[in-house]
Amino acid sequence: MAAPIVGGKAAVREALRMKSGIFGFGMLLFMMLVVVAVPIIAPFDTVRAWGDVSVWTDNPRAAAPDWIDTFSDKKQARNILVEWDEFSIAQSNTSPVFKIAILRARFDFTYDTFPQELRLQMLSNWSDRKPLITVDWRRPDGQSLTIYSLSPDRLAPQVETLTLSSRPDVQANVRNWALGVGADDVADVRPHVSLYAVQDAGMLEPSRAQVLKGTYTLTVQAIMFNQADTLLARFTSYGTVFGLAGTDHLRRDLLIGLLWGAPVALAFGAAAAVVTVMSQVILGALGAYYGGRFDEFIQRSTDFVIILPALPILVLIGTLYQPGILTVLFIVILFNIVGGTTKVVRSIALQTKEELYIEAARSYGASRRRVLFRYIMPRTMPYTFALLALSVPSFIFLEASLSFLGLGDPVLPTWGSIMGDASRNGAVYNGIWWWIAFPAFGIVFATVAFAFLGYSFDKVLNPRLREE
Amino acid sequence: MALAYYLAKRALFLSITLVIATYLVVIISNQGGLIDNQIIAEIRLGVIQELRSDPTYLRLPPDVQKQVFEKKLQERIVFRGLDQPFVTKSFRQTWEALTLDLGRAQNTYGSGSFKLTTIIMERLPRTVFLFTTATVLSAVVGVWLGLRMARRALSIFDRGMTVLSITTLVIPSWVFGIFFILLFAFAFPIFPSGGMVSVPAPTDPWALLADRLYHLALPLITVTFSSFGGWSYTTRNLVLQIMSEDFVTAARSKGLPEKKVLHRYVLRAASPPIITGIVLALIGSWTGAIITELVFNWPGLGLLFFEAVILVDAPTIIALTIIFAYLFVVTVFILDVVYGLMDPRIRALGR
Repeated sequence: MAAPIVGGKAAVREALRMKSGIFGFGMLLFMMLVVVAVPIIAPFDTVRAWGDVSVWTDNPRAAAPDWIDTFSDKKQARNILVEWDEFSIAQSNTSPVFKIAILRARFDFTYDTFPQELRLQMLSNWSDRKPLITVDWRRPDGQSLTIYSLSPDRLAPQVETLTLSSRPDVQANVRNWALGVGADDVADVRPHVSLYAVQDAGMLEPSRAQVLKGTYTLTVQAIMFNQADTLLARFTSYGTVFGLAGTDHLRRDLLIGLLWGAPVALAFGAAAAVVTVMSQVILGALGAYYGGRFDEFIQRSTDFVIILPALPILVLIGTLYQPGILTVLFIVILFNIVGGTTKVVRSIALQTKEELYIEAARSYGASRRRVLFRYIMPRTMPYTFALLALSVPSFIFLEASLSFLGLGDPVLPTWGSIMGDASRNGAVYNGIWWWIAFPAFGIVFATVAFAFLGYSFDKVLNPRLREE
Repeated sequence: MALAYYLAKRALFLSITLVIATYLVVIISNQGGLIDNQIIAEIRLGVIQELRSDPTYLRLPPDVQKQVFEKKLQERIVFRGLDQPFVTKSFRQTWEALTLDLGRAQNTYGSGSFKLTTIIMERLPRTVFLFTTATVLSAVVGVWLGLRMARRALSIFDRGMTVLSITTLVIPSWVFGIFFILLFAFAFPIFPSGGMVSVPAPTDPWALLADRLYHLALPLITVTFSSFGGWSYTTRNLVLQIMSEDFVTAARSKGLPEKKVLHRYVLRAASPPIITGIVLALIGSWTGAIITELVFNWPGLGLLFFEAVILVDAPTIIALTIIFAYLFVVTVFILDVVYGLMDPRIRALGR
């Protein structure tokens, strides 16, 4: 029989000699790197605006991740955004009464699917009369049409937002033009399809229309009635795919939520696990060492806590008081001051207490504290590490469960709250799998890392589990 | 005799646990005066309904009507003891909760009744049915697998299953539920994505039974898959440990077939700790039920809990927390009984 492994360092060293240990540490290291990189990739301000719908309007709604088209021969439409300063502006002030401004955006459309939506934003400043605006659409096949003509209602700095793809006037213009060039009529016109469709009989029908690739030009022409009046424009052709992780129903970039989910989950899980396992270990060892009424009290409290329906009570607290994530952490720790670990450590400490070297230490006058903390506790260290590694995921899942029910932190997105959003909005039923599968994968990844670690610590303790 | 003593002791401890847990729930929910406001609103409604059907009251002038109403309301509040100090009140509320006098929900759920006991009794069997079946199934599969793994210890099969067991053990069933629904209800539509019965439900009783089993399949597979790991991993380690004990070597050297040694000697010695494992597994599955049922749209207690959270229906959440506490305690007690019957040390206590 080999000598028992004593102390934390030895346990880690032994665990790292196993494949599962290296695997677990590797995964943990990867997550640590993500945690360090997250504030650089997505600063905290981006994630703090998670609940603010107006921040995310440039993204397509419920769009799949953009790498999905590597699995098919169709290239999905990407987001095309022509910024305020990317429009070329030409002005003519030949007349003293009015001036004409022509804003032009040219962009290439080379995808195999139609965009999701079209949006034009305008920022106009006028003094006497509203400017008159005409929006023209020029296609690669030389066809062109006027899709919109009206005056803006909002003065700068307010932005006039026109969702071209769902405006009845734009739909009517597109239909008239399409019927004129020989298309079959349909009840529901989709400008974002027909404007990009090859000119044929089916160009009004999304199922029959084919994409016309090439360079498109959007022209905004404004007649303004004062020399000081100005107009700026911004155009978005929403893609059907977006980013590495797609978007949700509020157009939020899921990648940001997923990345920030990692530090939140890890910090919550690790903090709860370290504090509770430490308190459980110390109380278990103290109980075993001192015995008597104190031990009995610890034992009964442990049994009580194990039977207590912790999640329902947490849900109750969450619903009645809407606590933030730190309060939840505090309550979770409170409910786990004693627990399963207390029992395990107590039984180990009871055995260790009777061993000769403890008796020897006592006989040369070692203090109780010295015996407890220097001689008994180190023996429980490997167990502690295994239990620590295995309890991190359980706390990660506890937090995820609460957020899933909508009781998590009101500001920060977590893996659980993203999954909860997805579930409440029927992501699975509408085929928006990336919304729910990625956060679930994140949680499983973190869990598996800790499970491997726990397993390797377990193997250190039980030589029978070892490979050789 | 000894068994009765042991069970009585356990029953006493569990009852105390239940009382403390319930008292805790009462205190948590009353910190904001929620139970009180709820009961007063209920009384007010009762008084209004009573007076409306009273012809003499309706003939009174409005200001007298108001006086009569206030007087009657006050009487009822005193009668229900709501004017008493918090400590007295909280004890009585605890007693009411313990005797399952759970009051009414703020929003209707099923059966057309507001009474929480009715609502909960309608949902309870569905949850118990799903999770007990799954626990039994995972115990059978897990112990069987664990024995296999122990027999072929350190083989590729054993190592693979050990890793699978440990990972599935820590991941709760609702996460698997999400993946399984994506896989087996949408990518490969083999199973329905949720619910307990098709809409519209078949009328033929046999077809209805088949339909229910069809809807039960995926949640059952999911819960079983997420909980067999605890069984197989524990069984494997226990069996390996016991196999090296002297009495097993003795049994083998007598020439007993390996199968008999395993079943009669090893498994018997391993069963009490395995039974202990079931306690934690079952308790875990009850709690997990809240979100698992939500994911599968399974209309049991968990889904009711979620609906109550969404509608911020405090009385229902409180009642359900108490029902969960009852479920936990009853589960632990049943397993105590089984444990007591199986463990020779407990039977021998009195001798």
